[in-house]
Amino acid sequence: MENMTVNVQLDAKGLACPMPIVKTKKAMKDLEPGQVIEVQATDKGSKADMKAWAESTGHQYLGTIEEGDVLKHYLRKSSEEEAVERKHPNVIDNKGLEKKLQENNSLVVLDVRETAEYAFNHIPSAISIPLGKLEERMNELSKEAEIYVVCRTGSRSDLAAQKLTENGFERVINVVPGMSEWTGETESIE
Amino acid sequence: MSKKVAIIASNGGLFDAYKVFNIATAAAATEQEVTIFFTFEGLNLIHKEAQEELPIPAGKEHFQEGFTKANVPTIPELSMMAQELGVKFIGCQMTMDVMGLEKDQLIDGIEVGGAVTFLEYAKDADITLTF
Repeated sequence: MENMTVNVQLDAKGLACPMPIVKTKKAMKDLEPGQVIEVQATDKGSKADMKAWAESTGHQYLGTIEEGDVLKHYLRKSSEEEAVERKHPNVIDNKGLEKKLQENNSLVVLDVRETAEYAFNHIPSAISIPLGKLEERMNELSKEAEIYVVCRTGSRSDLAAQKLTENGFERVINVVPGMSEWTGETESIE
Repeated sequence: MSKKVAIIASNGGLFDAYKVFNIATAAAATEQEVTIFFTFEGLNLIHKEAQEELPIPAGKEHFQEGFTKANVPTIPELSMMAQELGVKFIGCQMTMDVMGLEKDQLIDGIEVGGAVTFLEYAKDADITLTF
């Protein structure tokens, strides 16, 4: 499993409820939209709390990993990406990709979400290259291959698809909406 | 998204204080608008001296150790944190008169008001709690 990169780490170990939430709220304020935070806590109630907190504040709860007594929670700050208009002309819907994957499991699926988002829920054969790293890691992809680009809602993948096309990739298809409504097979580190 | 929470604190023990301030802080951290109305013994929770040494119910003294072990913040810490997060404290004027309390005996940053002040706030609250 590829390492998860996070933008901020928060140590809330040894703190009782509601301190992990209070600390998370404070730390979240300093994050840019779309950035990922790792919150380390020992409060056993924090798992349910983080999830509920993210739901009511609009942030994205990615998942929790338990390491001994320490719970590592991963959250992504909400962003306005949903509002962006998509520009890449070639698109496929979730069902369409799911069907294609059943027929041919060697399809290239490129997941451009953050590594922590990918870690907790991704299409089994998907390659992870976060949008921010695409420029430098583009050479890992074949220009001739058909590439299905996926993110959470279809916005980051739209930007990625445009970027790939500009760089000479000819068969790039954006998957809409993407993982937020994906019902096909997935893998997770949880 | 932002919900309104109205809390009445009318008891003055240590456990009562934790119930009030934990819920209030958690709600405020979840971007909810919170106001607490302190009345009768609940005023102890925002009394400068009293909040430092709120009583534990008789026979439950052994919990003191548990609070320390679980690294639970003290009540003055929690009440300050709640205020930092924007929780509004209202002291009940009528009770203060009955108990002979002045506003400067209570912690800073509170308002003093009557029942109607609270009712006006609570009339469209999404959650109302009494402790």
